[in-house]
Amino acid sequence: MELFDSILMGFGVLAGWKPIVVIITGVIVGILAGAMPGLSPSTAVALLVPFSYTMPPGLALILLTSIYIASNYGGSITAVLINTPGTPSASVTALDGYPLTQQGKAGKGLGIALIASTIGGGAGVLILILFAVPLARIALKFSPADYFALALFGLATVASMGRRNVLKAMIAILFGLLIKTIGIDSISGVSRFTFGSDALYEGFSLIPALIGLFAISVVFSKIEQWTGLNCVLSKVDNKLPSFKEFLKVRMTILRSSIIGTIIGIFPGAGATIAAFISYDVTKRTSTEPEMFGKGSMEGVAAAEAANSSSVGGALVPLLALGIPGSATDAVLLGAFMLHDLVPGPLLFRDSPEIVYGIFAALIVANFVMLILGLFGNRMFIRVVSIPDAILYPLILAIGIIGSFAVNSSMFDVSACIGFGIIGWIFKRYDYPVAPVVLGIVLGNMVEENFRRAVIMDGYGIFFRDKLAFTVLLIALLSFIYPFFKQWRTRKR
Amino acid sequence: MNKIAVFMTVVAIVSGSVANVWAKFPEKPIKIVVYTKPGGAGDVFSRKFAAIAKQYTDANFVVINKPGAGGVMAIKHILKSPADGYKLAFVTRSNIGKIVSTGSNIDIEKLSWMALMVSDPEAIITLKKSPINTWEQLVADAKAKNGKQIWVGPASGGNDHIMAMKIWEAAGIKTKWVPYKSGGKAMAALMGGHGVAYVGNPQDVIGRPDLKVAVISSPARIGGDFSGVPTFKELGVKGLDNEIMWRGFMAKKGLTKESYDFYMELFKKVNQNPKWREHILKGGATPVFYKEDRFLDIVRQDQAEFTATLKKLGAIK
Repeated sequence: MELFDSILMGFGVLAGWKPIVVIITGVIVGILAGAMPGLSPSTAVALLVPFSYTMPPGLALILLTSIYIASNYGGSITAVLINTPGTPSASVTALDGYPLTQQGKAGKGLGIALIASTIGGGAGVLILILFAVPLARIALKFSPADYFALALFGLATVASMGRRNVLKAMIAILFGLLIKTIGIDSISGVSRFTFGSDALYEGFSLIPALIGLFAISVVFSKIEQWTGLNCVLSKVDNKLPSFKEFLKVRMTILRSSIIGTIIGIFPGAGATIAAFISYDVTKRTSTEPEMFGKGSMEGVAAAEAANSSSVGGALVPLLALGIPGSATDAVLLGAFMLHDLVPGPLLFRDSPEIVYGIFAALIVANFVMLILGLFGNRMFIRVVSIPDAILYPLILAIGIIGSFAVNSSMFDVSACIGFGIIGWIFKRYDYPVAPVVLGIVLGNMVEENFRRAVIMDGYGIFFRDKLAFTVLLIALLSFIYPFFKQWRTRKR
Repeated sequence: MNKIAVFMTVVAIVSGSVANVWAKFPEKPIKIVVYTKPGGAGDVFSRKFAAIAKQYTDANFVVINKPGAGGVMAIKHILKSPADGYKLAFVTRSNIGKIVSTGSNIDIEKLSWMALMVSDPEAIITLKKSPINTWEQLVADAKAKNGKQIWVGPASGGNDHIMAMKIWEAAGIKTKWVPYKSGGKAMAALMGGHGVAYVGNPQDVIGRPDLKVAVISSPARIGGDFSGVPTFKELGVKGLDNEIMWRGFMAKKGLTKESYDFYMELFKKVNQNPKWREHILKGGATPVFYKEDRFLDIVRQDQAEFTATLKKLGAIK
């Protein structure tokens, strides 16, 4: 009952017009920033940190967390409409969301992404409120060997991504892993493959690579196929998913929300890994796995429910222990410090109104997001009706600005265009680009945790650590299974 | 009599306006270049500084973030900018380590190390509920495990790793250094019991009741919440009496005397500001104001130390 009182107190903090205006502002900023390629959730929150300095601490954090939760949904809008993930995790949404748009069902794609994000976001927050402290304690117990196993499990999802050709998907993921070997090696502190260049010291940033691979590559393909005619998608349907369609994916949303929250809790994992794993799990358990990659609503729902629910999960270690669980958490930690607050167990005791105010605000923000999203979808969908001659130059311009925005560096812009060319070559020869993102996201996690585990306990640890061993075994099986299935169908 | 009064008035007006001509720095906003991303510790520190400095001057402060290569990019940015006094850079001891480890050609003598503002004692942090949480227990366990005790922290060859190596040498123990991506992740590993010690600063335990400061490197005990923490000196460990992590501001060398004096006055006032002192003390650190001569000495010493240690580790030639 104590918890119930605390939550009531949290909602009490929201009384009055100011907090509501702040939440609505946060959600709008979050959706727009999320939709903008280049502004990832962490950048969006970071940009507003200085702005929040003059606000009272409670309101400032409500603003920032509202942006955080809404930006994870925002990324799906551009992913579905123009195949340009606004956030890294939305690259999974694009796998099925964009095919829906190509079939003229953009309204369904956007609608299901919105509903899945709302439910996922809410589920993540609920788990955060109820189990923050015990969950955070369990997550701490995971050793480097366990993290390595989890990351490898993430990599094994590649097998479900190569629509026809698993080999091509594997080449793509290896390319991503190789890219990630460039830059400082955070175990030994030695720089690798930088050729003495300062710009490469920290390796390639994810965002410019993402924009290049997904968005700029499409622009190049369009130039190649340019016929001089202004083609516009003839059918644009802004019809939302029907209630029946929603019911069909309800279990997917629920399951993906739980997967997303749990993965979000692990410091170092996060929205993108959550989306990839939940997409993979959904595809394996689906009754229509052949629809994945061709416009499956289940696929969109899995990705979006997982990335939005990971927000609640990522806040668990931050609020319960004062340990940032994601890049955005690290920025939020800075925002707390700016207001002379220290997140962690003592914050629950010393400033409960702030903690429960944030909880209440996250719940309200989800509803605000749903309402704004329903209105916004009608507007967003018009993007698809923009003639190609205007849309693609616009994508190029936004992509370049977005890449520059990450670190205010021209190097990132060149990298973005370079990845654009690579992405174009990949598309030309029918290699999937999503595995490259998976490789880049998981590269460090796999390598560092493997080396850490070996430094700590030697190579035998992967057999001695029961949890790591089990997860590795599952990863191996889940990797082999699609090959086995292919082989069996061929035999028939 | 009257003439003298008129003369005096004229002199007063003329000299006043002359003084005004000379005292017009700064006439445009001052940029503080920060090597962390927005929301990072350096960013928070610089914004706090700007907010307090604003009370003493009409100048506006703009914090700009130039992340990359652990501060090397920000320092290069300063070196490329004109030495007009409108760009300050936030610097910490770890930047010096990065200058050395990246093998960059930055010449510290070309920079004006204006003010060292915060001195943070280095400390060993342990887990309260672990059976090994005091200095004596750490040493005894390290000897019993014979090289298998685990210390966690950021990358090898960084600030904390070098401090740890000094501690091991002073205590005559051998342990393993397991590096993590960031200090925060390493502290999470400590909380999960994957290692027994973390090298950091007292502020790292604030708000994290699971952790405690086992030892600090300071000539005498520090006050506040940390008055119960012993120093290396008390424990009889030699050569670790004053190991600090510092934070401060620098600019490109060649500022006019006028702009230089403006900053010296400003740093002095901020250093004495009660709110500033409280903010720094709350973090277990000490607000100080070391001017250029002393600051540069510290930087030179740090550079020499980083170079020697990284050579020993084989990380640089």
